[in-house]
Amino acid sequence: MIRRSFIPMATAALTAAGIAFLAVACADMEVAEQTADADAVMAPMFEVDPLWPKPLPNHWILGSAIGVTVDANDNIWIIHRGNGNPSTELGAAQDPPVAECCIPAPPVLQFSPEGDLLNHWGGPGEGYDWPGSNHGITVDPMGNLWIGGNGGDDAHILVFAQDGTFLKQFGEPGARRAESFDEADPEWTGNSMDPGNFGRVAKISFDASANEAYVADGYLNKRVAVLDIETGALKRYWGAYGNEPDDANIGRYDPEAPPAQQFRNPVHAADPSNDGHVYVCDRPNNRIQVFRTDGTFVMEKVLSGNTLGAGSTWDVAFSKDPDQKYVYVADGQNMKVYVLLRETLEVLTTFGDGGRQPGQFFGTHSIATDSKGNIYTTETYEGKRVQKFTYMGEGPVEQQDQGVIWPSASR
Amino acid sequence: MALCLPVGTTDRVSPLTGRRAATGRVAVRVLLFLAIAGLTAAVPSTGAFGHDIPSDITVRAFIKPEGQRLSMLVRVPLEAMLDVTFPLTGPGYLDLSRADESLRDAAMLWLGQEVSIYEDGTRLAVPELVAARASLPSDRSFGAYDTALASTRGPPLPASTQIFWQQVMLDVLFEYRITSDRSEFAILPGLERLGMRVSTVLRFLPATGGERLYQYTGNPGRVVLDPRWHQAAYRFVRLGFTHILDGMDHLLFLLCLIIPFQRLRVLVILVTAFTVAHSVTLVAATLGLTPTALWFVPLVETVIAASIVYMALENIVSPGLRRRWMAVFGFGLVHGFGFAYALRDMLPFGGDHLVVSLLAFNVGVEIGQLLVVLVCVPVLRMLFRFIPGGQIGKTGRIGQAGQAGQSRRIGAVILSVLAGHTAWHWLVERGAVLWEFDVLATTPDAALYGVAGLLVLMLIIAALAGWALTRPGRPDWTDETDRTDRTDRTVQADQAARADQAVRADGPDRPA
Repeated sequence: MIRRSFIPMATAALTAAGIAFLAVACADMEVAEQTADADAVMAPMFEVDPLWPKPLPNHWILGSAIGVTVDANDNIWIIHRGNGNPSTELGAAQDPPVAECCIPAPPVLQFSPEGDLLNHWGGPGEGYDWPGSNHGITVDPMGNLWIGGNGGDDAHILVFAQDGTFLKQFGEPGARRAESFDEADPEWTGNSMDPGNFGRVAKISFDASANEAYVADGYLNKRVAVLDIETGALKRYWGAYGNEPDDANIGRYDPEAPPAQQFRNPVHAADPSNDGHVYVCDRPNNRIQVFRTDGTFVMEKVLSGNTLGAGSTWDVAFSKDPDQKYVYVADGQNMKVYVLLRETLEVLTTFGDGGRQPGQFFGTHSIATDSKGNIYTTETYEGKRVQKFTYMGEGPVEQQDQGVIWPSASR
Repeated sequence: MALCLPVGTTDRVSPLTGRRAATGRVAVRVLLFLAIAGLTAAVPSTGAFGHDIPSDITVRAFIKPEGQRLSMLVRVPLEAMLDVTFPLTGPGYLDLSRADESLRDAAMLWLGQEVSIYEDGTRLAVPELVAARASLPSDRSFGAYDTALASTRGPPLPASTQIFWQQVMLDVLFEYRITSDRSEFAILPGLERLGMRVSTVLRFLPATGGERLYQYTGNPGRVVLDPRWHQAAYRFVRLGFTHILDGMDHLLFLLCLIIPFQRLRVLVILVTAFTVAHSVTLVAATLGLTPTALWFVPLVETVIAASIVYMALENIVSPGLRRRWMAVFGFGLVHGFGFAYALRDMLPFGGDHLVVSLLAFNVGVEIGQLLVVLVCVPVLRMLFRFIPGGQIGKTGRIGQAGQAGQSRRIGAVILSVLAGHTAWHWLVERGAVLWEFDVLATTPDAALYGVAGLLVLMLIIAALAGWALTRPGRPDWTDETDRTDRTDRTVQADQAARADQAVRADGPDRPA
């Protein structure tokens, strides 16, 4: 009898003691954290979602993924170049097929927030000129998708409805061919003054309140061009520091040289914020330049200024709070994402590292945020994927370079 | 300057989708449809005519009684307005200069006719359509009532706006005539046919101030927007009842309780102990006394699975009643958190009657549990009767009728093994999810201490109660258990002796 009454009591007491211990341990941790947090810099925190998106059907495979955008319903759209994959990756697409896998997925893919493939379309069709090398995809205030291109002849922008219906084309392919153009020795020249055509557009972003599109123009031209969303009419344009753009070759970037007074190719993104500023990625110059919407230069920030090659500032996206307190910058050369305080452009923290595992990057090309604050990235070169980074709330920055933000339990 | 390729008028005729109309309103719908078809056939250009049912639709709505009018603002994707022909232009843009009539028709057909509003139990007449406006998908005015109202009543989009018709949002303002803004209002939404999956975010702004948010998927049935206590109680009793019958893990836990104790009186006490325990944590969770950490839900689910494994193992090893009620109480605390997560989005349906709703939910759960007991006990008794080995003992406890009891015990072991096996898989799966979270790295909040303190308190109470009950003068049912336990030992000795005799005789086991 004594033993029988003892067992439940002992069990209960031990459990209670265990819980009490847990509470005390937590309390200790909180005290320690509060002490450490007193002067801590706070920043939005993320964790990679290694299970997003779900596998593609039909043996489809992605190519270099060079654009990502999120629509009003939080669906995620990407654009990629599956046809550019080497034949070793496209065994089932050979004639005759040499393997069961793989086939390039259609260029434009729509995913649900849960990572299911919802829709797919894209590629050459009637009534429009699909870019020689599609580049960038962004949803406009009407829900349409705008696509640029950085292929040799690409000098135009395409607009499609979400079901893939072609709507508009601004500019004519081939407009940038040099007078001496020869198929055997093709040559193109920039013309950042052209009111009707472009020079290999990297990305288009939108100011819904003004009904304007901001074109990062781009890989051949060296300007930010502002268009009327509906007509595509060019309204204004400018170069670095708000200067009149000059397409002359200014040579390679030199970290020791004075700041270049013109953009270098490519001008890779030009995103307007809610408060009337435009954030421009001057990629090989490793800098973000901020302008007012009329092109007046406001400030700039150099990120990883010693970066050579492709440069450090590839794409920008804003946090989804009403004030857009933070700006995220994709860096495909240093394989990371910067988290900046938008007001000062101070780097609060960075995450990511080179590699092909979840949370790593190879050619971090494009970046976008959804309404819940999650980040989506796509990777070009041999990265060839889209990743989701789940927003975990604001937290103290424990190390400025966080490296791979693997799910916390496995760190 | 910029080149805009010429866009011409395109015919867009898709086959009609065969969606069924609401029962009882077929005639009205058919007439309306014919009227709309006739109207749209009269206009010169063809338009979007029927299409697939959209897979995922979100409806945003506000309801606000004011004086003798009740305003209902609704935003719905235009692509959900099936069987309506919209005038199009170009490659598929909504022709805003001619769209007004079709927008109003669609609004009446799919919203005005479908949504039923009740004042003091009486269905209000079909509302007056005050405004129907096309808006952009990027428009954020439906974040609040005032901005939504201003936008919907405001000027239409410029006729020159080129918006692809399937990307248009339809904003509608209806007004109902009411007797008083203090009446009791209810809504039967009836919008579940707009898409394969229709999520609704409904905000009710009562005349007394404040705002009540309802979020649901599909059709929630008739919802009293500011219910009286008995209406809230009825809804939540029903909710608790259906929840326990829907929840496989709670049911399996109950089954594990029932398997060894097939006496109704004991089971009623056990089930009630479970209800009391989960009521405590359910109330705590509802009052916000739960950790906000992401790992907490997986932790609760893992412990729920563990509770079933434990119960199944105890059934197999030693089904002692005294320990059982304590375990039931302890695990009930954890199951309460599980109920709380199921209940969280439903609480606005209780209006101001939070306590009544919670109690009613628990009553519903208790009724559901008792129903399960009432059904399972006779079924199990009957089932065990067909197992070779005899009848169930007088007390209903397995293992009290010699070899017959042994056979029943084998039956109970088999059922417990099956239940435990299922729960083990849940435990592994849920444990794997929990493992993904770095529990110790979470910043603890006040709620964590609240929960920890509550659990400690409950366990201390349980320990004290257990201690008190094991003293002389304890309740009758505990005495019976002790007797049962003693009987068990006697029976086990008896069984051992019989088995020994059987082995010696090398004869078959005979049924009792």
